[in-house]
Amino acid sequence: MVEVIVVVQKESDGSELLTLAKKVGEPVALTYGTNEAERLTKYFNKVYKIKEDDPESIFTALKNLYDKFNPKLIIGMSSKNLKDAFSRLAGIYDLPFATDIFDFNVSGSKVTYKRSFLSGRAVESEEAQMPVLLLALPRRTQKSEGNVNGSIEELSIEKKSQIAIKERKEKVKGGVNLETAEFIVSVGRGFKNKEDLKLAFELADLVGAQIGCSRPIAADLKWLTEDHWVGLSGKKVAPKVYLMFGISGAPQHLAGITDAKTVIAINNDKTAPIFKNADYGIVADLYQFIPILIKKLKERH
Amino acid sequence: MGDIVVLIKPALNPEMIRSLPDGGVDFDNIPLKLSDIDRNAIEEANRLKETLKGKIYSITISTWGPISKRDKDIKMAIQEGLAKGVDEAILLEDDSITPGDQVTTASAIVSILNKFNIKPDLILAGEATIDGFSGQVAGRVAAKLNLPYISFARKIDINGNKVVIERDLEDYVEVVETSLPAVISVTREINSPKPPTLIQIRMASKKPQQIVKLSDLTGVSTQKKKLVEAKVLAVKRKQTMIEGKSLEEVADKLIEILEQEGVLKH
Repeated sequence: MVEVIVVVQKESDGSELLTLAKKVGEPVALTYGTNEAERLTKYFNKVYKIKEDDPESIFTALKNLYDKFNPKLIIGMSSKNLKDAFSRLAGIYDLPFATDIFDFNVSGSKVTYKRSFLSGRAVESEEAQMPVLLLALPRRTQKSEGNVNGSIEELSIEKKSQIAIKERKEKVKGGVNLETAEFIVSVGRGFKNKEDLKLAFELADLVGAQIGCSRPIAADLKWLTEDHWVGLSGKKVAPKVYLMFGISGAPQHLAGITDAKTVIAINNDKTAPIFKNADYGIVADLYQFIPILIKKLKERH
Repeated sequence: MGDIVVLIKPALNPEMIRSLPDGGVDFDNIPLKLSDIDRNAIEEANRLKETLKGKIYSITISTWGPISKRDKDIKMAIQEGLAKGVDEAILLEDDSITPGDQVTTASAIVSILNKFNIKPDLILAGEATIDGFSGQVAGRVAAKLNLPYISFARKIDINGNKVVIERDLEDYVEVVETSLPAVISVTREINSPKPPTLIQIRMASKKPQQIVKLSDLTGVSTQKKKLVEAKVLAVKRKQTMIEGKSLEEVADKLIEILEQEGVLKH
């Protein structure tokens, strides 16, 4: 009997989601868009697939499978389109739904899990009745081995679409990978002009660091591409050192650096809240300090 | 015709987080405020009102109790909406639905729309609230009403009955088109709301506010999730200031720390 629907696009997510699904029971998979359906058959006895990858189509296919199997759990990895699709199914049947969860467990007819709360300043533990919809954080779960040889069934979406997709524009990327960086130099509103960021880039080049930034630099001023953006709506980072220049320390930014080992802040305002949230603080004008730091670094050996 | 509904939430203010001696979140002593991204939704409602020519309603479902203690904060949040252009506010305040979950909130919103016979062309919400950040109430409401749902909008253009929306996703921006009525959740990037002026705040108190209880509504579902516990994330930073006679000396000390942390090659 099918008890879990796993909504998945990538094999790596599938192997983690299988571990979670097995806590509840027998899963089937629903995959969408440019998918890895063939590879997912190693993990799931049955893989349903749709060509479309928009939330309306995922919802329609998911609802069909939900009505067919009446599963106890519908689970996927957190993404914006799955948040959209899952919220619709949850709405239709008044089912509980939680996003960005970790530490998932089952006890009787209930599930428990944890998630970030209050803009990353707290962690909440919740309990929900099954059937339940969950979106998990990636890389928090042991991967399962794939040792079955499942079959693929293509589903066609029959429902008339309410929403037409006109265009998709790829986001310009700055070629950074902050999630795996060990050393991040991060920039904020303390920089007065876009051109001045070259100070930070020169420093980062010298020490082999990646460049991060606060929300205004990426979202409002657009001085850097969004893949540099650290915070609640940006990237969550975990470097050995997070070295910030001219960042005042808004809670949404701090939510992105809770896993950083050592946080160092340079700001010319000695009352800036960031100093209460840093391991080391330096009160200095970044325009004076960065050139001196660069000079001193070059003088080493 | 042309009415807009904005969903707004008095959310726990993360900046005012308080901890109990055992590390638990001290809910009773964290004030509520209008959730940040709801301000963007209100601002967008105002802008679109020029095209749609209708009335702007706000709907608020209290999620944090006890109401007797929260009432002032809840009313302040609603007042801010009225000051920023909402024409009429509707509030469900009832201890029996706190702490609320999204099942309760979404069904209560639909129930209020029915009770007040509001048939909006557009329902707007923030992409998520600053306390729970789950971003699912707008999608639930859309599904219940069988309306098109467009999430993570960073641009909305209305032309007659057609709406063109830019959705801000992880790797790309998706341009979609749908027709009214529709439900749209907006991101912070859609506009830059300003705080209300004193005159706007004074005018707000003259605008109509409807307060309802659970017993005034039908079809509100009970909670299906329970908050078991919440712990303040104790990220204790050392808060050591690096000082020196000159910036050169400070730079030397910083380099020493970077070496100790293992991010500089010797």
